[in-house]
Amino acid sequence: MTVTTTATATTTGSALARYCAQRIFQPVPDVLIAGNPFLRPIGPLGEHDFSVPATEAEFLGSGQLLAGRVLCNAYESDMILLPPAGLASAKDDFDLFYGDEVRALRDRVRPGLERYAFSFLDDAVPAPPVRTLDELQAYFLAEVGGAGAPADASGSNPAVDAAAPVSGTMKAITECRHPEEAAALHLIQLALDALTEASAMARNLGGSYGVEQSELFKIFNDEFGYGVYGAKHSTIFKEMLASVGLRTDLHAYWNFYLTSSLVGVNYFNWLTEDHRGMFRYMAAVTYLEWLFAQGFADTGAMLRAVYGDRVDAKYCDEHAHIDVHHGRMTYENLLLGLARAHGELVIPELVRGIEDTKLLLRLGDADFRAQIAWADALDAHTEAGAALATAAMDDAVTGTLRPGSPFSTGVYDADRLVEVESGEVDVHAWATQNPHRLGTGDVLLVPRGRLHGLKAASPEARVTVRTVERTFDA
Amino acid sequence: MARVIVMDLSRHNTVMVGHDRYFVLDTGGRAELVRDHCPHRGGPLSLARRTPDGRRLSCPWHGTKVGVAAVRRSRLPMVRSGDEALVVLPDGADAPVSVTHREILANLPPDPTHHDEGAEHG
Repeated sequence: MTVTTTATATTTGSALARYCAQRIFQPVPDVLIAGNPFLRPIGPLGEHDFSVPATEAEFLGSGQLLAGRVLCNAYESDMILLPPAGLASAKDDFDLFYGDEVRALRDRVRPGLERYAFSFLDDAVPAPPVRTLDELQAYFLAEVGGAGAPADASGSNPAVDAAAPVSGTMKAITECRHPEEAAALHLIQLALDALTEASAMARNLGGSYGVEQSELFKIFNDEFGYGVYGAKHSTIFKEMLASVGLRTDLHAYWNFYLTSSLVGVNYFNWLTEDHRGMFRYMAAVTYLEWLFAQGFADTGAMLRAVYGDRVDAKYCDEHAHIDVHHGRMTYENLLLGLARAHGELVIPELVRGIEDTKLLLRLGDADFRAQIAWADALDAHTEAGAALATAAMDDAVTGTLRPGSPFSTGVYDADRLVEVESGEVDVHAWATQNPHRLGTGDVLLVPRGRLHGLKAASPEARVTVRTVERTFDA
Repeated sequence: MARVIVMDLSRHNTVMVGHDRYFVLDTGGRAELVRDHCPHRGGPLSLARRTPDGRRLSCPWHGTKVGVAAVRRSRLPMVRSGDEALVVLPDGADAPVSVTHREILANLPPDPTHHDEGAEHG
């Protein structure tokens, strides 16, 4: 699948500016956005040129974050979202979000932003030379084996090892100084997809494409709890959030979605919105479903280690069970089924979906690990900032914050020092009720790509931001 | 007092009792009215295919194997005379009852394309 656009950079840029200028996409003073699924601050566009695709090296840059937010808004305006308190609480925003002007602008900016956001996938990894059904089978089993989930003796998705010790990112969360904040940040990244779970998949249910269509529907049926609201995966995900004191309304934590999370979720919406992506999608889903069973068993173990008995991890238990089935069903009936039905014409696209997913998982894992490592050590990064202050470049940008100032999070494209010249400022690097407080004279090192937002903790605060070049990791 | 219905097996093979569905399963030449509900996730066993040995049903949702003997344990008491069958509904069932004819795959010969996949049940 090739990412194409017919819009010129100029017209796209103009439409993008108009799209982002919509009231519902402007920052509000609140750190959390409660009870309104239509308020989705994008942040300042600055001088970004979205006509040149982002490279893999720019994956965590501010351009990808902004494009990710716009694309998330664009894709979700195809879904039905309603505020939990009733539509009366946000009727004007509902009308604007789904209105003619916003949808027309959305349709103009989306192809260009998709090209910007996803083109690097085609360049980042050379597609392996897999052409035949047998090669596809061998390739897939080698990939999932390499990812730690080799097929069992019957050639199917392996059973879950519920006693497996937590490792990797899950272990890193438990080892944080603030494990509950780190675990919450992980749940928030999952929430970006889980609160509308299977909505992207729903785009592939219509039409007429043979046995595979019915196979996908079976999986969708599980995701939607067989028509029982209490069994719907998004419902039991909400129960998990609520059990650890997190908000359950859609995008309440909008400001805390990491760049990689937005790109990852948008990827699946992109492939289902543009039906040329259906083969990539089916393969990507197959790869994920195969790995999810053990992955969610590990997530459940992490959550129980962090939160103890108070966490309701039924969502993880459900996935640790049903995704054993889904891994087998997608592999045998979707991945191999589509390869059998459509042959060598589509096998490269199927492989592409798996390669894309592997890369997005790797980049996403690195982003999350870097975020929790930084957010967990803001005091150390404040000391580092003070030590680096004399090395800052002469490119200071100064701003004034007040408690009622619009709040939004963002990332820098280079390491920056944030210095509080007067007043006090709270740094929000993850969703916590105890943000890191900077006093007058404090200097915080914010590494490139780290998501953060600043909020005045005094009636007024002056903040200066400078670029700093480092030759080591502070 | 138990409720009883009479159904014509030449015309009908399915009974709805509220939200619960029962279908006529052929168990070695005997027609039995069994619950159309896989014990794994509630899949429609009437659309299951038999395994090659004919002794289990492979649920269409997740491939779960359900022994015919286990399915028979969900049967409703039924007395048959020719095509006419007297069915005793579950105790306390005051839900609406209807009889209908639906496609039933579970009575077809075993599926020749069957793969031995999925978990065992019952």
